[in-house]
Amino acid sequence: MRRADQIGAVLLLLFGVAYAATAAKSYTYWGANGPGSGFFPFWLGVAMAILATLFLIGATRSPGPGEAWLPSGHGLIRLAAVVGATVLFVVLLPILGMTLATALFLLGLLRFLEGHAWPVTLGVAVVTAVGNWAIFAWWLQVPFPIGVLGF
Amino acid sequence: MDVFANLALGFSIALTPFNIFLAMVGVVIGTLIGALPGIGPVSGVALLLPLTFGMPPTSGIIMLAALYAGTMYGGTITSVLINTPGESASVVTCIDGYQMALQGRAGPALGIAAIGSFVAGTVGVVLLMLMSPLLARWALSFGPPETFALMLLGLTTVTGLTGQHALKGYISMVLGLMLSMAGFDIISGDPRYTGGIAEMLDGVDFLPVAIGLFGMGEVLAGAEEAASGQILKARYGLRDVWPTATDWARSRWAIVRGTVLGFVVGTLPGAGPTVASFLAYTVEKKVSRHPEEFGHGAIEGVAGPEAANNAATSGAMVPMLTLGIPGSATTAVMLGGLMMWGLRPGPLLFEKNPDFVWGLIASQYVANAMLLILNIAFIPLFVRALRLPYSILMPLIVIFCITGAYSQNNKIWDVGQMLVFGVLGYGMKQLGYSPAALTLALVIGPLAERALRQSLILSNSGLLILFQRPISAVLTVMALAAVAVPVTRALRGALARRALPAAT
Repeated sequence: MRRADQIGAVLLLLFGVAYAATAAKSYTYWGANGPGSGFFPFWLGVAMAILATLFLIGATRSPGPGEAWLPSGHGLIRLAAVVGATVLFVVLLPILGMTLATALFLLGLLRFLEGHAWPVTLGVAVVTAVGNWAIFAWWLQVPFPIGVLGF
Repeated sequence: MDVFANLALGFSIALTPFNIFLAMVGVVIGTLIGALPGIGPVSGVALLLPLTFGMPPTSGIIMLAALYAGTMYGGTITSVLINTPGESASVVTCIDGYQMALQGRAGPALGIAAIGSFVAGTVGVVLLMLMSPLLARWALSFGPPETFALMLLGLTTVTGLTGQHALKGYISMVLGLMLSMAGFDIISGDPRYTGGIAEMLDGVDFLPVAIGLFGMGEVLAGAEEAASGQILKARYGLRDVWPTATDWARSRWAIVRGTVLGFVVGTLPGAGPTVASFLAYTVEKKVSRHPEEFGHGAIEGVAGPEAANNAATSGAMVPMLTLGIPGSATTAVMLGGLMMWGLRPGPLLFEKNPDFVWGLIASQYVANAMLLILNIAFIPLFVRALRLPYSILMPLIVIFCITGAYSQNNKIWDVGQMLVFGVLGYGMKQLGYSPAALTLALVIGPLAERALRQSLILSNSGLLILFQRPISAVLTVMALAAVAVPVTRALRGALARRALPAAT
């Protein structure tokens, strides 16, 4: 975790500096009526830069590398699978439509990641996709994305 | 007493069939969410928030507040029967609750927790009802400096208490404030930090962030392992659940102490039900005549903390309703909901939206009564729900996160935002940052900025105005102390670590 903290601290430091610089350059620090749109953001950027510097010093001085923060092996694969499937869901949402994307997402995760039997998988996928549509699209009138298949 | 007139108004709203139905939905889903490990009150409120958009705000808050109370009851079931906390405010209940269950006394453990929760929840609402109007009237005199000082205090105390690592907590908070600046500046109308993206003109939307950080983030944290514990078998007839005379004698005062302590802790900005339950356990152990029984199934160790966490949920509503400052991560999400419904949180809420405030208060009495019945008579139902494997539950929560994020503005952009914050929330949790502090800062950011800028316009001595008015001076000093204490402790710790190798 020490390495992750150091990297995090450097990124936050850069972010803070860039944020304050943007505020100073592009927004009004002090206008005719008092503090302008750049005033508060400028000091937030400065605060972040200071905190990140303190954090960087602390992380570098910490003894030992500390615990791992990401799971390894099987756990990492599971994590990546869930994130990957959700990314795929979002990308395919405009093409497949909400209902079909929901059913396919559940099908993929339940069958191929969790290893549930087909009847359980299909049951959960269909009931959830229809239930989700019933609550949001039908009852709450949310216009769901409609796919190329027309639903 | 106008309290009674107001309460009558409140009940006339809370007891309409639609609102009773929503309170029922809230308590049932809340108990389930509380019982299921992996999702807690914050994600529960964030996930149900989208359902409230089509409703009047009062109905929405009735459902969410009922859900919040329900999670506190439900968490106990898992703590006692599986020795895994259903949510963080029931962590401490595992210690003696599970021991009681091993001794075959799961029934009385759940019974006393439900009764203690009911007493504490109801007394908590009474206190909320009596205190809030007074506090709101007092807060009406607040000008921008007081408001800013109060927000500063809320931010610093939440941050100081939530993370294990103080510095990471403050970094999370400042990050939240920085994100909240994106979009149109409320005073000048200038767009800021949009990166040239049209969607960013409206700023970083609160709902996708909350659903991402808490709902999706918690799913990812649970995704890496698919383990579930053994559920202990027990009998749940009314006779088995009702505490014995000895149980009563031992837990009576524990419930009273837990109620008072929990409510007080809950009202403090930053400390919520979790802190309250831990403090209550410590107190019970200290005052007990047989402290050696703690850890081996002492019923006070269940009654005290369970009362405290329920009283704390009522306490946490006091600063949210009267000052517009959330007292816990869950009320921070509720506050975000209030703003989305178009209400302006703060002392004016009591004058401008009495139906909202009093409808909420009255509905909390109703919700607690429902929860008592539910958690005495229907325990087996929730135990059955615990058998639902996490491997099925997890993808379902993801679907709910996606649909919820989408349904506010009907934009796929929001779903993407939710996912980004889900991954960020997971990383933050793993690395010891504080998603709760980020969320709170995101809600408060624009309000705090406006209060600060207005203060500076009023002032002819710059920031010193914060110290020139008595109330704001006290609040500012408290806020600074809240930063100074953990930071000096951390620095001292770091110095001690460095001195250690030299000594050996």
